[in-house]
Amino acid sequence: MKIVDEKEPALLKRAARGDEQAFLALYQKHQSPLYRYALRMTGSPWAAEEVVQEVFLLLIREPQKFQPERGELGAFLYGVTRNRVMKHLERLPREASLDAINANGTVWREPEDPLTPMMIAEKKERIEQVRDAVLELPAEFREAVVLCELEELSYEEAAQVCGCPVGTIRSRLHRGRALLLAKLELLRDAPRRASAGAK
Amino acid sequence: MMSCEEFERCGLDLDRPDAQPEEAALASEHAKHCPDCSALLASWREVKADLRLLRESTIHESAPARVEMRLKQELRTRRESRVPARTFAVASWALPAAAVLAVALGWMHWRSGAAPIAANKTAPAAVIAQESSANSDDEMLLASDYDSTAFTQLPDSMPSASSDQSVLQVRLQRGALMQYGVSVEPEQASEWVDVDFLVGEDGQPVAVRLHQDAQSDVGPR
Repeated sequence: MKIVDEKEPALLKRAARGDEQAFLALYQKHQSPLYRYALRMTGSPWAAEEVVQEVFLLLIREPQKFQPERGELGAFLYGVTRNRVMKHLERLPREASLDAINANGTVWREPEDPLTPMMIAEKKERIEQVRDAVLELPAEFREAVVLCELEELSYEEAAQVCGCPVGTIRSRLHRGRALLLAKLELLRDAPRRASAGAK
Repeated sequence: MMSCEEFERCGLDLDRPDAQPEEAALASEHAKHCPDCSALLASWREVKADLRLLRESTIHESAPARVEMRLKQELRTRRESRVPARTFAVASWALPAAAVLAVALGWMHWRSGAAPIAANKTAPAAVIAQESSANSDDEMLLASDYDSTAFTQLPDSMPSASSDQSVLQVRLQRGALMQYGVSVEPEQASEWVDVDFLVGEDGQPVAVRLHQDAQSDVGPR
């Protein structure tokens, strides 16, 4: 049987005994969505890297914290990642500007694409605007937008990650969308319904 | 019919795959007739398109390779630190077990040596004792140094074919041999002589041999 076919609890048991291959199979499967989530929540590659590292170190040092009967490993890891991200966000001063988030200058920017023609410069600008607008949202609304709109999780999945009822997720998403709309319409100087829901 | 408030709450879920079909149909119907909500939906669809662009531009983002390297290092460090712990666990029962075994062997050895010690106690004088036994090659050599045929059988003792006998070298007065039934000339009774006793399994002497220089005038009564 190939290692990728093994069930995650079995892989985790092997990893806990020091099996590097089993651990790497788990890491490769989960690290990317966790990193993206942390990156979108913090806006800092440095912070996202630290968070992901801490999450998997926990898996190495205290594998017994994951209890298969309580849910999937992915949901558990998302939950741990979320806690770390929230702790990171709590440490940041509220009034910090986006560029001030990373004192070491590692501000999250879109990867450069040498093949991108000038024609899509506007597209890049729009991406940056929406990214900045997402990062400016209050953490709980940002989280709902990141999970439901960027990671495209269902409401149930997002609720599981956040450890709250589906209704709370829907409510946060509603507020997050309204704030996002208002910010982007102001940025683009094209107010339509900027006030809707953002009151 | 859906109200504007209701539309604001759930109308933007229209395009989600997990939207409830009935709710989506009502919201769609409302947007057709309400310019404000229609504008809101259009705005949201623009933002949604931008969010999708953002999603696509970062879909391949993943943790840098150095994170994997650090985690591998941690895994290896933990694995290596587990080996001495296992060694300690084995040692924690193996050492006491070895100690118990050593004590048991010592006790058995002491038990097997008890008979010659008893023989020592019955001998008339403390002397150098040499033990012959068939249990080891060295001891057999020692036994072969003593030719049992050169010993004189003591009266009231039965000749024994057993090899588990000890030879005791004793220095005593010749007269002391009389208690073993050996005849001694009265004028020589006070002489000191070197004697070998062959001691049986029961710790009692069964034969005697005088050294060459003291053999005259000695024999069973």
